[in-house]
Amino acid sequence: MEKNGYQKQVMEIYQFISDHLYFNRPDLEVKGEWFNSAILLSLLTGLVKGKELIIGEPGLGKTTSAEFVCSLIYQFPLGVIWGSEVSGHPEQTEEKIIGRPDLGKLNQGEEDVVWTNFSQVPVKIVDEINRLPETKQSMILDGVDRGNWEYLNEMIINDEYCLYATANYQDGGTNTIIAPLVDRFDVIVESRYPGANLSFLIAKSKGKEQVLRHPKFEKDLYRILKSKIAYEKKIPKMEEVCNAFGDYVEETVGVKPLKREDRDRIRDEMQALDLDLDASAFSRMLLAELSFCDRYGQKRIVENCEEGCHYTGYLCRQIRNCASNRLPTSIKLFAQGLAWLLGDSQIDIEHVKTVMPFALSHRIQWKDEVLSQKERAKRDDPFQIFLAKEAVKTVSQRYREQSDYLKDALALGSKIFQGEPLEPLEGDHPIYTEIKKDLQRKRSLS
Amino acid sequence: MKQIGSPKTSRPPFEKGPSVFPNPFEEFQSFHFQKQEIPLDRMVQSAEAVMDQIRLGYEKLLEEEAKELVWMVQYNTIIKAYEVAEKYVKEIDYSAEDIEDFCFALENTQKIPYLIPGPAGIYISALCNYAKEDEIVLKLSELKTEINLIGFRLPKGKRLMVDGDTGDFTGIGLEGGEMVVEGNAKNWTGAGMRSGKILVKKNIGLHTGEWMMGGEIYVGGRVRGIGNIVEGKVYERDKLVYPGKARYPNLYY
Repeated sequence: MEKNGYQKQVMEIYQFISDHLYFNRPDLEVKGEWFNSAILLSLLTGLVKGKELIIGEPGLGKTTSAEFVCSLIYQFPLGVIWGSEVSGHPEQTEEKIIGRPDLGKLNQGEEDVVWTNFSQVPVKIVDEINRLPETKQSMILDGVDRGNWEYLNEMIINDEYCLYATANYQDGGTNTIIAPLVDRFDVIVESRYPGANLSFLIAKSKGKEQVLRHPKFEKDLYRILKSKIAYEKKIPKMEEVCNAFGDYVEETVGVKPLKREDRDRIRDEMQALDLDLDASAFSRMLLAELSFCDRYGQKRIVENCEEGCHYTGYLCRQIRNCASNRLPTSIKLFAQGLAWLLGDSQIDIEHVKTVMPFALSHRIQWKDEVLSQKERAKRDDPFQIFLAKEAVKTVSQRYREQSDYLKDALALGSKIFQGEPLEPLEGDHPIYTEIKKDLQRKRSLS
Repeated sequence: MKQIGSPKTSRPPFEKGPSVFPNPFEEFQSFHFQKQEIPLDRMVQSAEAVMDQIRLGYEKLLEEEAKELVWMVQYNTIIKAYEVAEKYVKEIDYSAEDIEDFCFALENTQKIPYLIPGPAGIYISALCNYAKEDEIVLKLSELKTEINLIGFRLPKGKRLMVDGDTGDFTGIGLEGGEMVVEGNAKNWTGAGMRSGKILVKKNIGLHTGEWMMGGEIYVGGRVRGIGNIVEGKVYERDKLVYPGKARYPNLYY
């Protein structure tokens, strides 16, 4: 893989946040290197234009970690990021999140929209998203998914954007995040307590965020955001100020934030990375277990497993819902990011296995018996992430036992698909049935 | 303002044609499973090849000597069967372990269709007599069927140890070899033996040493009956019972 120093630049950002801004303990091992999952996944979210849900106890740095990452990846001063955040509360309105009518123009009989900072800046942070009532969560669905923000008859489209949402654990003031919104998050991560000693240090290092503030650039950016020019014209102007802020940060703290062209090149490099055969076969195996039902054709939340089903030992028996099509996209996106960051030339099974639990845990709905069976298990992770990690481990074990056979079955599938008169391989796993279904469909089409 | 939707569009309409659904397995197209061979694989393969040869010899023996799947124990049938067995066994390069595997395979695989205790014993005896090793251990304790004629014509210098029980005619025609049976032996043990030693650690049946011309039979348990012995010695629990006091064939003493 081409080495142009971007990986080093991003790792320096990671190190700077870890050492100076967000005290933490490393909790994630990837190929012998230890990372803090909250910082690593937040960095990747910014790089891959992803969407991340950060969960945790109040006051453990969910929002601040996202703010620091956004500031250094997108070169926005913290003041602008704070001014663009949306906070979740029951009285939140579309006008505060997306845009409002231009009242001055409205008085003159013209209809125009004043877009919020949130809808205009590429870094979007929704604080305490689960305090938004379920009915109001739907307002941000489209924007979150596609970057399209609509108000009245106007629309702005964010070419480049990433989204961070924070959520507290359930308490009296929280609501459930609706399933379609949850599914739109690529990954979920917990911002964890750093331990008593580091926590004590945080108290001593108050005001650390000042290094990422700059009142002049903040004012300049606010002026641009408030200006009446077309959104497309605002973007280069904002980038100009952001670049100046980036230079300032590099001068003062010695860390070089990423410019727009840097981010674009990084994304191009990431997109050039593809899954190797093991990573692909393993992902297919996991997806098959999360969507397969021998009796009813696929998993559906409204249908229950049949007693005495042959596939009792697989994940399909333990879960209620079906894996969405966004799941493989999220896995690939973040595995690509991780492989790029580690300087690997392909996405291998280790990258996939690392990101999978974070892409899975908020999307799986486990059956009650599984929850009650495992809730008291010793663990370091939140229950949902723990269950997802266990699931990935289990499937990984199964994959180890039959990786060559499965790859053989897929290779044979390819030959049959191209018209060779062969028979698909039989095997005791849902994936073999899925292969056969695809081949049957092909036969019925041709 | 630009007009949208002009009537003359340069965009080609959707062409209808055969479905071109992408091959979902395309990336695996070039995958060829190449099993990495480890030394154990080679050992297993060669052991299986030898076992196939041994099995084939046994099947041929059955074809020639037990056509109706019935085999009568007579002097000439034993001699003839042994000659046939010798013919096939001489062509195989095998070890003592292969003989043990064959004994196990007799009852535990579908590949050997019939276990007929007489020809099986003759064949095993031929395998033992022509084995490269001087000492052979046969684990027969897990077989449900007791094999007859084990140790037939065991030559001098060979030691055959049987873990388990043996059937009738154990060690007949022994030719100087030494045979140890950890369990029981049935009737006609050591019949016609010329020289050598048979040790049966548990009990032995009737006609023990019938027409034996020499050698010694040691029995750790009880001897049910002595045969008409020409020459040789029979011991029961270290006590010489033949030649000895008045002994009548096949009588309890």
